[in-house]
Amino acid sequence: MSFKDLFIEHDVPPEVQEWIKGEVEAQEARYSKIEKEMIDLAATREKWYQEFFDRITTLGYNTDGDDKMTINPADLPVKPEGCVDQVVWKYGVDGEESPDAQK
Amino acid sequence: MRPHIEPFCDRDEGFKHLRLPNFASGMHYKMLSFDGDTGACSMTVQFDGGYRRTPGFAWTEMEMIIIEGEMQVGEKTCRKGHYLFVPAGYAMPEMTSPKGCLALVMYNTGEPSHEESTQHHPLAQVDLYHDVDSYMDIPWAMGNVTKPSVAAGCLIKLLNFNPMSQAMTFLYCMTPGFYQDNISYHDCAEEGYHLWGTSWMMQFGDVPTGGYFWRPAYINHGAFASEYGCIALGRTDSKLFNHFHYNPWSTPVQNADRSAARIYQRDPLLYKWAFSEDHNHPHGPEDFEQTMLRRGDEEGHDTEHKSDGHTHDHWHGHHHHADGSEHQHHHHDGDSTHTHDHD
Repeated sequence: MSFKDLFIEHDVPPEVQEWIKGEVEAQEARYSKIEKEMIDLAATREKWYQEFFDRITTLGYNTDGDDKMTINPADLPVKPEGCVDQVVWKYGVDGEESPDAQK
Repeated sequence: MRPHIEPFCDRDEGFKHLRLPNFASGMHYKMLSFDGDTGACSMTVQFDGGYRRTPGFAWTEMEMIIIEGEMQVGEKTCRKGHYLFVPAGYAMPEMTSPKGCLALVMYNTGEPSHEESTQHHPLAQVDLYHDVDSYMDIPWAMGNVTKPSVAAGCLIKLLNFNPMSQAMTFLYCMTPGFYQDNISYHDCAEEGYHLWGTSWMMQFGDVPTGGYFWRPAYINHGAFASEYGCIALGRTDSKLFNHFHYNPWSTPVQNADRSAARIYQRDPLLYKWAFSEDHNHPHGPEDFEQTMLRRGDEEGHDTEHKSDGHTHDHWHGHHHHADGSEHQHHHHDGDSTHTHDHD
């Protein structure tokens, strides 16, 4: 991620480089904890998905703002065979293998 | 690059003392997300009572919003909700907090740094500095800054906008009882910090006060709801577009492919040009407005000479005047000036 502007080149002192290294390690631990918590939430999330499907096939799906369209149950997606429900993707499309790629 | 941090709540963490060169003592932080390549980061920062930082600048662009308490910035008192955008190299005045304060601090392009100085760095884009009391001095606006839009009940206050990348910083709130039944992803990274209140997302559950996310592009989030409402600070790193759908099992790669397919469907000629073999290189297609030669201060290209549309004098090899008129001009082979009549 970069905001693509507003950076001035400079030397980074050794103690700051050490601090950066320490923060990278701390973030790895933070990410792993989140990843585990989200795996543990999978069963609850399956229920939330079903409730979501129930709502968009009865009350409607928000297409734009408050504009809604009722989804035909026949048009609901099918969970791909062997798909592991995953909601945390470490670097998104960069460096992350999708379930498709794992097959 | 920052990894996907979602959901995270800073209330579950303890503060650490920030010990970096030139930073005053009395500054404690909870790291929210961190870019290991550059040191750019977002932090919740507690400034102790009596905190004092000398005038100076950072090597990186910085944003800050006061969450609780007060910070004195030069002559200005920044209270809860005060937002500051500080370009790299912009020398801030002395900053003090007699009674302490809590702030969200974001170093955008490099590690936290402080160079003591009362002068801006020569490369600082000083005109970009701005600050505002975002709670008191900006009205809430509808959240439909992009179309398709969020549902009514999600309101925003725009705090910063980058005209090149269309990156935004904004406050957003969800009114009590807000809900939006779709799944969204964006072509940009998105960041959010809950200043107050709780919202819910179908993938991640509740995000409470102090809740945070850094989400790379193309990752599903939503449906959305907030039972009692919330107020948060949000940021994107480029243009925000809502790709809505209702497939909870789509992957980031599939979502990105869909975005590309939508360009192909909507702008087939642009797609063909941008993605053809000859033009598909790492730096992307060239934007001639950013690379073309410009006149600048090149000698001879004066801009002082005005024209009435009939007569003017200028440096290149022709001139215009009414028939029979008398005029003057300078020759380049010396400083002689003469007057003559035309046939």
